[in-house]
Amino acid sequence: MRRGPHALAGGLLRGCLAIVSAVLLVAHLVLFVPGLGLGLVFLLPWPMAMMRRVTDAARRACGDLPRPYRDRPAPPEPEPDGRFRHDRVLYRSAFWPRQLGYLNWVLGDPATWRDVGWMLTNPVVGGVLGFGPAALVVGGLAVATGAGPWWIPVGLAMVVLGVLVAPAAVRAHDSWTRRLLGPPQPTFRSVKVWLGERFVTLAKLLALGGLTVVSVALAGISVLALALFCVGIVGALPEFATVTRQFTATRRRLAEQWSGVPIQTPYRPEPPLPQRRPDGLYEVGDQLYKSKGWTRFFQRIDWVWHDPATWRDLLWTATDPIVGGALVAASVGAVAYGLAELTVPALVRLARVEDPPRLAFLADRPVLALLAGLSMVVAGALFAPTALRLHGRWTAVLLAPTAKARLASRVEQLTVSRDDATSAQAAELRRIERDLHDGAQGRLVAVGLALGAVEALIDTDPAAARRLVADARESTARALAELRDLVRGVRPPVLAERGLVEAVRALALDSPVPVTVSTDLVGRPAEPVEAAVYFVVSEALVNTAKHAAATQVSIVFGYADGLLTTRIADDGRGGADPALGSGLRGMRHRLAAFDGTVRLVSPVGGPTTVTLEVPCALSSPRTSTSSGKGSSSC
Amino acid sequence: MRVVLAEDLYLLREGLKQLLTAHGFEIVAAVDNGPDLLRALLAERPDVAVVDVRLPPTQTDEGLQAALAARRAVPGLPVLVLSQHVERLYARELLADGTGGVGYLLKDRVFNADQFVDAVRRVAAGGTAMDPDVIAKLFARGDHNVGRLTPREREVLELMAEGRSNAAIGQRLFLSESAVGKHTANIFGKLGLTASDDDNRRVLAVLAYLDGAR
Repeated sequence: MRRGPHALAGGLLRGCLAIVSAVLLVAHLVLFVPGLGLGLVFLLPWPMAMMRRVTDAARRACGDLPRPYRDRPAPPEPEPDGRFRHDRVLYRSAFWPRQLGYLNWVLGDPATWRDVGWMLTNPVVGGVLGFGPAALVVGGLAVATGAGPWWIPVGLAMVVLGVLVAPAAVRAHDSWTRRLLGPPQPTFRSVKVWLGERFVTLAKLLALGGLTVVSVALAGISVLALALFCVGIVGALPEFATVTRQFTATRRRLAEQWSGVPIQTPYRPEPPLPQRRPDGLYEVGDQLYKSKGWTRFFQRIDWVWHDPATWRDLLWTATDPIVGGALVAASVGAVAYGLAELTVPALVRLARVEDPPRLAFLADRPVLALLAGLSMVVAGALFAPTALRLHGRWTAVLLAPTAKARLASRVEQLTVSRDDATSAQAAELRRIERDLHDGAQGRLVAVGLALGAVEALIDTDPAAARRLVADARESTARALAELRDLVRGVRPPVLAERGLVEAVRALALDSPVPVTVSTDLVGRPAEPVEAAVYFVVSEALVNTAKHAAATQVSIVFGYADGLLTTRIADDGRGGADPALGSGLRGMRHRLAAFDGTVRLVSPVGGPTTVTLEVPCALSSPRTSTSSGKGSSSC
Repeated sequence: MRVVLAEDLYLLREGLKQLLTAHGFEIVAAVDNGPDLLRALLAERPDVAVVDVRLPPTQTDEGLQAALAARRAVPGLPVLVLSQHVERLYARELLADGTGGVGYLLKDRVFNADQFVDAVRRVAAGGTAMDPDVIAKLFARGDHNVGRLTPREREVLELMAEGRSNAAIGQRLFLSESAVGKHTANIFGKLGLTASDDDNRRVLAVLAYLDGAR
């Protein structure tokens, strides 16, 4: 019985918290209205700070709940020029960045909003649960003493009841506070997530269903464009095809994002304007045209007409409403009809409709209707993800490129990369030829001339001959040095002798920035691949040294599933723009010849990561190097 | 002094043979590939080996690998490696065991017969002969502490790293030996190395410092 009075006191304390939260609510309104309404943003952190102080007190009072807040952000650091950055704006003083960072921190924390929920509801819930038992006791005492002798048992009963319910009220209050102010409850959340996912899936399906209406319209317009084409009005065809392509592009994107079915674009690339013939006309098919505009016009028609993807698009716009519509109906329709089944009979009864709408079959059998409706909602919701996935598959059937189109685009891509490779090779050969011509060749001519003169002078003027021999030796030394540099640029010695990893280690030794190289390659890629990757890494290291202001670079080689991966990461300032500079383009071209790719990730503020991926095979491992496998710090 | 020679280009091999014979060396074996070199080194135990990095059958760093293998079997076996190019990576591997008696020179250095023979003798005596290019590459990296050296001290450091004694450095730079001694003491002080009189230890310390400190 001692717990009763104790709990009563606890209840009073919790009741006081309810009063405080009511006061807090008023203060919030006073500060929030000008804060948000008038844009006086600096007023906003105050109520937040106040609220956290109060909720902290509530947490302590209700059994020392842990604080759920995120950590406070560090104060803004000045940029090198003394200004302060927030998002994409630079400020002269630290005031605004601090305020805005504080605001982001507070408003971005889900715990803040749970605090707000507590503040809004606590004046009532906390008040009733906190003061309720105490009010019963006080009221009972008042009744027992003031309302006459007959009321004394009633008053006493009220007091006893108040003391008895006090612990339960405190427990209820605390568990409710824990739910709002403590760390989020995982079970509760996963149910929410599950329901949310179903809801989002259903909404996506509904949206796809809505888009079928657009499909119908597009199919109609395309048929119209074809009809016009048949009667000789040909200009509309490419325009409608373009509109259809935009729509199908959206659907392809949705199939990838929503259904997880990636679909490539199947269209042939638009052909470039043909070369002018000697007589000044343009040739398209069997026709000759005089002006650029008409050439382009007919070329576009030709292009659209002869692309099978155009006809597959048309077929898809006509059939999507049927197949896609069926999938949507099977899931969203089931849920909607189930909901109707659940609610309509009840509404019919409530509204006393004489002739129930035929929408609800079981209007006169409420229990059966309830069960049928519920099972339809559940079945529809369960089927929704499958329906979404099937929808993506169905989209791929007609909107993905055919095997032939894929081959055609592959041929196109190979042609481009072969052109790149051959022109790069030609440029390289030109450079080597020029270097040899200007350097070593010239020096050897000089040596020959000097030796000729020596032959003539050796008897008459031995001193001059000796001087010339010294000159000739000097020339050969220089020629050798130039040839050495040339060889290094063509096929670096360590690359030739030890392969990619050791060559990159040698490169790392010469880098002004400390570089660590690690690898789990067993075996070596083909020599051309090694050379391409080596030169790209070399270029990346040069860029890092020049622009990144990095203190540490790491290069990691890996190989998995037929893909050689090289990751070059630095801790520099980032912000490398792939659009700027020809360096990255050069890297891409070098690797494109091997179907390799270059990926650059460089957010402002760093770090920068360049990832090279080249599909290739590895030869069996060689055991010639002394440093071998593993990582070494240079 | 007994020499094993490994060089796959016939003309250069014969040229080196003549040059070394003319300077009083005895060529005990002249080979043109890696496996033969390793066999000759282990069988003959020469006073010094002159080895080309790139040798048949693989035309990769066969010569260097054979030299390193021989030095693992016979610690301190003096080896002078010749190459068309110098790589710090290889220099580091040669110096790694810290026993000295190693050299690493560009083939061009053969042009100057006296200096080349001097380098061979230094290596044979357990000293070090590093190509100026290796040293230049080490300096090119722009180390913080090296930047604090005076130009004269840098010159002394370069020659020291090539493996030269104080007397030889003094001769080169037209300084007295005691002046060079003073410079080397300053250099060791600025780089935070322990001073030493042993030529080989001195070179290894300098190279280790330049290679390791960043």
